[in-house]
Amino acid sequence: MIDIQGASKSFKGTKAIQNLTLQVTEGEILGLLGANGAGKSTTINMLLGFLAPDSGKVQINQMDCSTKAKEVRNFVGYIPENVNLYPYLSGTENLDYFCKLAGLNYPKTELQSFLSTCGLQTEAHHRKVSGYSKGMRQKVGIAIAYAKKAKVYLLDEPASGLDPLASNELSAMLKKLASEGATILMASHDIFRVREVCHRIGILKKGALVKELQSKEVSARELETLYLDFMKN
Amino acid sequence: MMMWQIIKNEWHFLARNRVLLGISFGFVGILFLTVYLGNLQTQEQAQRYQTAQTHLRQQWENIEEMNPHSAAHYGTYVFKPTCLLSGLDEGVNSITGNVLRVEGHVQNEIVHSEASQMQAISKFGKLKSALLLQYIIPLLLIFLAFQSIYGEKQGGRLKLLLLQGTHLTQILVAKTLSVCLYGIGLLGLTISVYVLLNLNSINTDILGRTALLFLSYSFYYFILSGLTVFFSARWENTNLALTSMLGIWIVWTIFLPNVLMSSVERWHPLPSREAFKTAMKEDRSKGLDGHNPADKRSKALEEKVLKEYGADSLAQLPINFDGIVMQEDEEYGNKVWDEHFGNLRKALAEQKQTYQLGGLINPFISLQNTSMGFAGNDNLHHQEFLVQVENYRRVFIKTLNDKHAYGGSRTGDWSWKAGNDFFRSVADFEYSPPVLSSVFSHYVFDIILLLFWGLLTAILLIFGTKKMSIL
Repeated sequence: MIDIQGASKSFKGTKAIQNLTLQVTEGEILGLLGANGAGKSTTINMLLGFLAPDSGKVQINQMDCSTKAKEVRNFVGYIPENVNLYPYLSGTENLDYFCKLAGLNYPKTELQSFLSTCGLQTEAHHRKVSGYSKGMRQKVGIAIAYAKKAKVYLLDEPASGLDPLASNELSAMLKKLASEGATILMASHDIFRVREVCHRIGILKKGALVKELQSKEVSARELETLYLDFMKN
Repeated sequence: MMMWQIIKNEWHFLARNRVLLGISFGFVGILFLTVYLGNLQTQEQAQRYQTAQTHLRQQWENIEEMNPHSAAHYGTYVFKPTCLLSGLDEGVNSITGNVLRVEGHVQNEIVHSEASQMQAISKFGKLKSALLLQYIIPLLLIFLAFQSIYGEKQGGRLKLLLLQGTHLTQILVAKTLSVCLYGIGLLGLTISVYVLLNLNSINTDILGRTALLFLSYSFYYFILSGLTVFFSARWENTNLALTSMLGIWIVWTIFLPNVLMSSVERWHPLPSREAFKTAMKEDRSKGLDGHNPADKRSKALEEKVLKEYGADSLAQLPINFDGIVMQEDEEYGNKVWDEHFGNLRKALAEQKQTYQLGGLINPFISLQNTSMGFAGNDNLHHQEFLVQVENYRRVFIKTLNDKHAYGGSRTGDWSWKAGNDFFRSVADFEYSPPVLSSVFSHYVFDIILLLFWGLLTAILLIFGTKKMSIL
């Protein structure tokens, strides 16, 4: 579903992505590990069609993400580090608004069902988002993608700043989505969470994919050592 | 549909933000109060003028006996009827005044101390609807719009909006419309209240003027909202967007109109009051351009009348030659006045045209022109009033001079008096304000310029944001 072949991207002479090649198939979760500035967000922005690669190809479902951005976005869900919703609207109203922008007019009960599926407690559905925690906002963000029936989920540091319970709930949700056939790419620097959630892990350093491995091949401790080694060298 | 959703969401924000809601309600309250007081003032003024006009007419009709020439100097006053839309924009009336004296030999001047600035009137210092509509609402729109796109971008929400299939142009236009509609809503409320207060006096002319007034303001609000949204999208921080728009607001509404008016006055100068009066006086006694001086004219007239009546001396005439002389002098004075007033009108027209061109760099100028014009209170309407008063004055004085000449008295008999019937028969002044269809062409250029600015704003929103960073 996600196919990046030899993509490179520079900003004012600084290479953000260098000859990056990776694929993520349906039902798979790929975790991209890397320090700040490693190119994780640039990779996601290229997949979202907000950045065009200088060379190479970036495709989702065999469609070029920069030239067919509008079509690609139809089945892509994006969950940023901070899901910034409209604070004066409730969770349900936010979801309704984003759905309507996508041309989807769901009845209220269905909107609430999406929110519940994504883990938002029923009593919070009608509360204003200004009173939500970061984890709750993230759940609404996932619900927006879920209601859109996204086939590809792109998450940029989703677990950053979440409390352990919210982080666990997020992991469970991602696994559930993958089991339903979703393709998920998650950028993070949380080694333990990535190992726990993802099927495969890629380590990005200065825009290049320096290591790719299966999660089950390594323990959390081994992954940490490996990651730190790459970061040091 | 998508744009409508965005507009609805923006209005949700407005409706659920207590501060904004409080400001809006407070402002609407002030707006209503201003409209009510403006309307009350307009009605009271109209009532006062009507009372004074009736009183003056009664005085005139109560003249039992009086020498017609004395009556010409006794004269009368005429009042410019207050246009119904004066409560919305009183235009130049505040400096030109609405009362003119009608008297023999004396024409009304157009060059007043302040009236030379008749194209650009500052509304500051008076709480009038025009002040709120032209200055304060635009400021509110700027404050509402300056964060509109930057705010979305900052939280990464713009990405989410675009991911839902919305096009950036749709977001920009919808944000512009939502802010612009806020201003149009306030404008609509103002006009509705005004129409309700004057329901019995509304006619098709007033409706047409109101509709055009509404359109002009709507265009202007779109321009300001669009530019603010554009800056919010283009600039990398909100302070810059706000500062840019406040700068534009200051330049457009305060700086440029004054600079432009001063320049226009320099390019098409009007004579000073003193110079105008001196030139008139000189031309009246020495003849126009130094030809046909007063004494020669007088002698030629005497010979002509004596010949006409086959008389050898003025004493033999069956009429009062003094009346003929006075009318002849009056008509010569009219010629002189036409010449000088014509020059003034020409200079004023040139000033107006040049000032209108200022709309190319400042749409506020076009708005001010259309606002005063459609409210019936601009320079053009005032000049029309002056012309009608002068025409009436000429008929009025001619009637009195003719009575003096042919009413039964003889030359030199200044004690002869006309009776009350005559004074009653002299028609009162009736002002016919210009109808919209006859003055509309004078404002077409301003409307075109507002449309041009609207188009420019739309182009900026659509094409000027192509390279805008979403990240």
